[in-house]
Amino acid sequence: MLHDPDLNSYLFIGAVLFVCGVICMATKRNAIGVLMGVELVLNGANVNFVAFSRYTTLGLDGQIFSLFVIVLAAAEAAVALAIVLNFYNNHLTVDVDRGNKLKG
Amino acid sequence: MVGETLQKLLMTAWLLPLLGFVVEIFFGFWSKNPRHSKAAAWTAVGCIGAGFLCSLTALVMWGTASNAFDDGDAEGWMSQQADINHARHPHHEADSSEGAPPHEHEGADHDAEHHGSSEAGADHILTAVATEDDGGPKLERGQTVYSGTIYTLGVFGSLELTLDYYIDSLTLVMFTMVTLIATCIHLFAIGYMSDELTDEYVDHFAHKADGSHVHRPGRFYRFFAFLSLFCFAMLGLVLAGNIFQVFIFWELVGICSFLLIGFYTERKTASDAANKAFIMNRIGDFGFLIGLMVLWTYFGTFRFGDTMVDNEVVDQGLFSMVHRAEDGNFDRDELTGDVLITGTDGHVLTNEDGSNRQIPYYLLVVVGLGIFAGCVGKSAQFPLQTWLPDAMEGPTPVSALVHSATMVAAGVYLAGRFFPMFVQEVLLTIAYTGCITLFLAATIAMVATDIKKVLAYSTISQLGYMMLGIGVFGWAAGLFHLITHAFFKSLMFLCSGSVIHGCHHEQEMPKMGGLLKKMPITAITMLIGVIAISGLAIPGVIAFSGYHSKDAIVASALAFKNANSAHFLLFFIPLLTAGITAFYMFRLWFYTFWGAPRDQHVHDHAHESPWIMTAPLLILSVFAAFCAVGGDHGYLYLLLTGDEPAHLEAGVTAVGDGITLPAIQDIVDEHTTAGTWALVAAVSGTLIAYILYGTNFVNVEEMKRQLAGVHGFLTNKWHFDELYDALFMRPAHKVAAFCAWFDGAVFDRILHGAAKATVVVSKWDRVFDENVVDGFVNLIASATQSVGTSLKVVQTGRLRQYVMFIVLGVVALFAVMFTTFPG
Amino acid sequence: MNPDVLLSAIIFLPALGALLLAFLDSRAVVQIRAIALGFTVATFVLTLMLWGQFKYAEAGMQMLVVKEWIPTWNVYYRLGVDGISLPLVILTSFVTMLAAVASWSINKQHKGYFILFLLLETGMLGVFLSLDFFLFFVFWEVMLLPMYFLIGVWGGPRREYAAIKFFLYTLIGGVLMLIAMLMFYFNSGGTTDSFNLIELAKAASGTSTTLTTTLSPNLQITAFVLLFIGFAIKLPAFPFHTWLPDAHVEAPTPISMILAGVLLKLGGYGIIRVAFPLCPYGAYYAAYALVGIGVFSIIYGAFAALAQTDFKRLVAYSSVSHMGYVLIGLGVWKIGEATGKTINPDMWLMGINGAMFQMIAHGVSSAGMFFMVGVIYDRVHHRDLNKFGGLMGRMPLYSGLAAGLFFAGLGLPGLCGFIGEIFVVLSAWNYSPTLAIIAASGVILTAGYILWAMQRVYMGTEYKGPHSEDITPINGRELTVAGVLLAFAIILGVFPGILFDMMQSSTGALVDSMQLGYEKAAATLNELQAMR
Repeated sequence: MLHDPDLNSYLFIGAVLFVCGVICMATKRNAIGVLMGVELVLNGANVNFVAFSRYTTLGLDGQIFSLFVIVLAAAEAAVALAIVLNFYNNHLTVDVDRGNKLKG
Repeated sequence: MVGETLQKLLMTAWLLPLLGFVVEIFFGFWSKNPRHSKAAAWTAVGCIGAGFLCSLTALVMWGTASNAFDDGDAEGWMSQQADINHARHPHHEADSSEGAPPHEHEGADHDAEHHGSSEAGADHILTAVATEDDGGPKLERGQTVYSGTIYTLGVFGSLELTLDYYIDSLTLVMFTMVTLIATCIHLFAIGYMSDELTDEYVDHFAHKADGSHVHRPGRFYRFFAFLSLFCFAMLGLVLAGNIFQVFIFWELVGICSFLLIGFYTERKTASDAANKAFIMNRIGDFGFLIGLMVLWTYFGTFRFGDTMVDNEVVDQGLFSMVHRAEDGNFDRDELTGDVLITGTDGHVLTNEDGSNRQIPYYLLVVVGLGIFAGCVGKSAQFPLQTWLPDAMEGPTPVSALVHSATMVAAGVYLAGRFFPMFVQEVLLTIAYTGCITLFLAATIAMVATDIKKVLAYSTISQLGYMMLGIGVFGWAAGLFHLITHAFFKSLMFLCSGSVIHGCHHEQEMPKMGGLLKKMPITAITMLIGVIAISGLAIPGVIAFSGYHSKDAIVASALAFKNANSAHFLLFFIPLLTAGITAFYMFRLWFYTFWGAPRDQHVHDHAHESPWIMTAPLLILSVFAAFCAVGGDHGYLYLLLTGDEPAHLEAGVTAVGDGITLPAIQDIVDEHTTAGTWALVAAVSGTLIAYILYGTNFVNVEEMKRQLAGVHGFLTNKWHFDELYDALFMRPAHKVAAFCAWFDGAVFDRILHGAAKATVVVSKWDRVFDENVVDGFVNLIASATQSVGTSLKVVQTGRLRQYVMFIVLGVVALFAVMFTTFPG
Repeated sequence: MNPDVLLSAIIFLPALGALLLAFLDSRAVVQIRAIALGFTVATFVLTLMLWGQFKYAEAGMQMLVVKEWIPTWNVYYRLGVDGISLPLVILTSFVTMLAAVASWSINKQHKGYFILFLLLETGMLGVFLSLDFFLFFVFWEVMLLPMYFLIGVWGGPRREYAAIKFFLYTLIGGVLMLIAMLMFYFNSGGTTDSFNLIELAKAASGTSTTLTTTLSPNLQITAFVLLFIGFAIKLPAFPFHTWLPDAHVEAPTPISMILAGVLLKLGGYGIIRVAFPLCPYGAYYAAYALVGIGVFSIIYGAFAALAQTDFKRLVAYSSVSHMGYVLIGLGVWKIGEATGKTINPDMWLMGINGAMFQMIAHGVSSAGMFFMVGVIYDRVHHRDLNKFGGLMGRMPLYSGLAAGLFFAGLGLPGLCGFIGEIFVVLSAWNYSPTLAIIAASGVILTAGYILWAMQRVYMGTEYKGPHSEDITPINGRELTVAGVLLAFAIILGVFPGILFDMMQSSTGALVDSMQLGYEKAAATLNELQAMR
């Protein structure tokens, strides 16, 4: 029984992506993995933006917002990867559990 | 115009000594040789001498322009006087049942047509009519008062304080007397003070701490400067046209007296005496001030006489603001009994709201007593008599001029001048004050041994006579005695000065004796003075001035006693004292000039004074002997009484059980009786003095020993000094010390207490600040810190844990949102 | 000179002098003295020009200057002069000039001294000439600081104590004045004239065109009491007088001259310029207290003077005594309860004139007395009355002048002290016989303490204290100061009309406006009564 996807379908997909991303961030010890989780979370959000934009009266706002998010995510990934590289230079590992120097 | 000329003459006489003072006080600046030059003295003599000539001219002018010497028999001028009195108060005429005397019409006419001053703006003439000099009708007795304004001190709305002049017969006689005596005394002082003409004067009476005498430059010119200033002040006092101006010069003569008593500033006794004199006078002046305040508040003027411009009264004087009725009493409101304040024409003045202007009777008594208090101070009457004997610390010419002839008599003069305002109660007070004073002083004079002190007490006693005379309604008698006393007492003081000068400043009579041969002129002139003051005479043959004037006073007292028998003491005590007077004066003379020398050293040095000192003695002795010649028909008496107060003539009838004041005729009737009694008293006093001190019949020392109690009481001056010291001086200093203490101990202590309290509060403030305020702030800080510490465990540094927190946080947020806002 | 400029020039010329001095080398003592003296003389000449331009017949303020200052708060730079302030302005510049001559005896930190000295003059003249309440207050406080330092730095051994005492007392007075000032400001609606002393006075008597509201009678009483205490401290009247002896004793001679000669007059001036016209009803309400305090000050001051052994303290207490007459003269305002009219307004007019005269006369005589004490102090460096004596022989000219000035203080006719005292006392019986009698008894005590002091200092056989060898005759500079003061004492004593003519129109107008003010307040009270 296939019917036209409605808002909830998109929201459901967004939520799944979000939760996958969060779980990825929370469980991966590899920094790269964590970054990938972040990308998932952001994209989950993007799905929501676009969906709301499509199904409500927001117009193009959501789409534009998601474009910003994508750009931002790219920038963030660049910075984060630089951090990871530096981290690796200093610690010879990318295990985030080893980076506990910010402990209070 | 006679009035204008008189004013100019007297103003000249008044201001010349001031000019002299200015020249003399700066003498050191413009003299090359101020310590040795007599130029200052001659300046002073010139000024006062010229003043005398002016006064004499004025007196003669006044005498010729008026009918002053139209004496005839006593009855004659007195009835004439009565006519004029009636004429001066035209509204009396209707009441007067007497037949119209011949002069009445003329007098009334004069009263109606005042000749105003020809000069616009010159406030001139009053009660009087000035006539054309030659050919015109003569001025009548009692009508010759001139008054006007010299210049204004301040004007406040309707109130005006001015310097005025008031010229009547009394003013003129006083002017002449003062300038004449002052001239004589100035001359005498040139000789007496000549030992000041040196660069190094040795004062034998001032001892330094090491016992040596004080050496100082002579102060010859300063002495004459002070004398000139005094003459200026004294003449200003006499010329004064309002009671405030009298007060001004009253104070000025006081300060001159202060300067002259304290002339030997190095002597503690002199400066003490000067202070005492001034402060005691100020006590009297306190009363004077009260009188002035009441006058000012109720009458709004201080002027004696009315000021006229173009026949209109522009400024009413005090004397016409209260009106005496036929019986001599003041017009009073029938309901309240207050004295009505009237205009010159006798009509009652009204306030703005239409009510009658009036002054409570008791306040009029206060005025009288207040003014009289001033007189008490100045004339050294009981109870302020103690300063005058001490004032003898001044050089003898000062004692002669200031403290016997002029300044101390100013009190009597003022009582006479202000006489129209006195009510019976005041007069009675004056009489009793005079009576107590004359007796008290005479008793002390009996035992005093310092020649000047005897004269000083005698002065007080004689001033008491004058006051008594005025108090018992013998206005003319009191002032008559003032003039005669001025002559003979200044003569005696100068004689004593001559003796002191001759004996090298020895004043103790027990060291003198037998000076008659050494100092014949002094001794004889002194004897004239002594006879004059004692009132000795051979009636009908020869009588010196004192006989006439004292006789007049005793007669007034007798008439007063006849009218008010309860006050018999006012007659008997003066009578007794007349004997005492003769006694102590002859005692003085015998002690000094008679018998054998008691101190050979003093006697050897004694010598007659130079002519410049004896000449004034001779001049004054002539006046002392003959100035009153003719008694109450004589020139002096007639001149003096030319403008006597109008109500004297008929006397004053008692109100209720009050005092009756005798009419002039009553007094005249008693003359012979009183004169006889007084002469008997004087002769007995003289005889006793002769027996005790002129012969060797009685051992005086033995008597003294037997009467030691009385003698001691008298030599200690009735213990007045001790009494005042205990009653006033010490309490005053106690209060003063208390005030000073109070300032330090209470005000400053409160202040310091407040300051200390502030410090304590600040300390507490600091504690509070440091503990409470800072503590609170620190508490917050440490709390924050501990919270932070406890929260830091959360900050593990584990990335995945953080994500978990985020997730949990989001979930929790959702949970809260959904539970809080379901739907 | 243009009146606009003249008034401001008078006030700020001394300040200009102070500025000039600031640029001088502090070692150039002679030049510093000369410049300071030059500026005080120039100021004195300006005040004489002011006198020349003054119109006697005009009762109100003359030569008004109005400039904006702080418009937001309606504060203006308002100056003007009338018959009440003119004599005091002349007195200020005159006494300051003589004090500058007397300042030769200052022997340390000349530059600072003369700078403060000139600033002080600016403050004093400012108070007398300002017509804006705020400006008045500012000058009042401006005066305070130089005085504090002049006493505190150049004074005697207990100078800090005296300076702080003086400062605190005066400051308290200033604060009370400030409160009263704000009362007026907020009750008059805060318009442009709310600090204008002339309009405030007119408002109180109901003749103002710009100010419609004013203090209620009850608030007037409060305001008057506040102002009165503020000014009575300065006067000084019992019981606010204890700063005076200390300040005088510790202050250097020229400062004592200014303190007694001018500063005390600010109290009297404040009462007559501010307290009286602004709260006529309050003034009437408190009149008995005024006269009573005046009388008590006379007697108390005289007794306290009698007990002193310090020469300068004695003169200081004599000031307390003499300033009592000022209060009496101002306060003898009697109103008939039935008619609501002043009884004998001429008597009160006489009292006010007498009080004003007494202020001027005391300015001359007390400055003279303090100077005379200073002359002998400069020589022997002590002031113990019991250790003097015999100066009449050692320093005859000095003693003669001193006697003259002390006689002026004693109230001798022919010298200035007499007129003020006697006019005040004469006007007092109308108000209260009892108080008048007590006031009159002051003449005895005054004679007592002055003569006794003179006896102990000038008379006697020999000098009994230390430094006998330093007693030298009076020098030319001292002779000038003393001679000028004595000459003025004589001129004022013989021709008091000089001052009375100057004041007459203004004091007359004051009496009239006070009567109106009382009537207005009485009417307000009646309305209130009726409403109840």
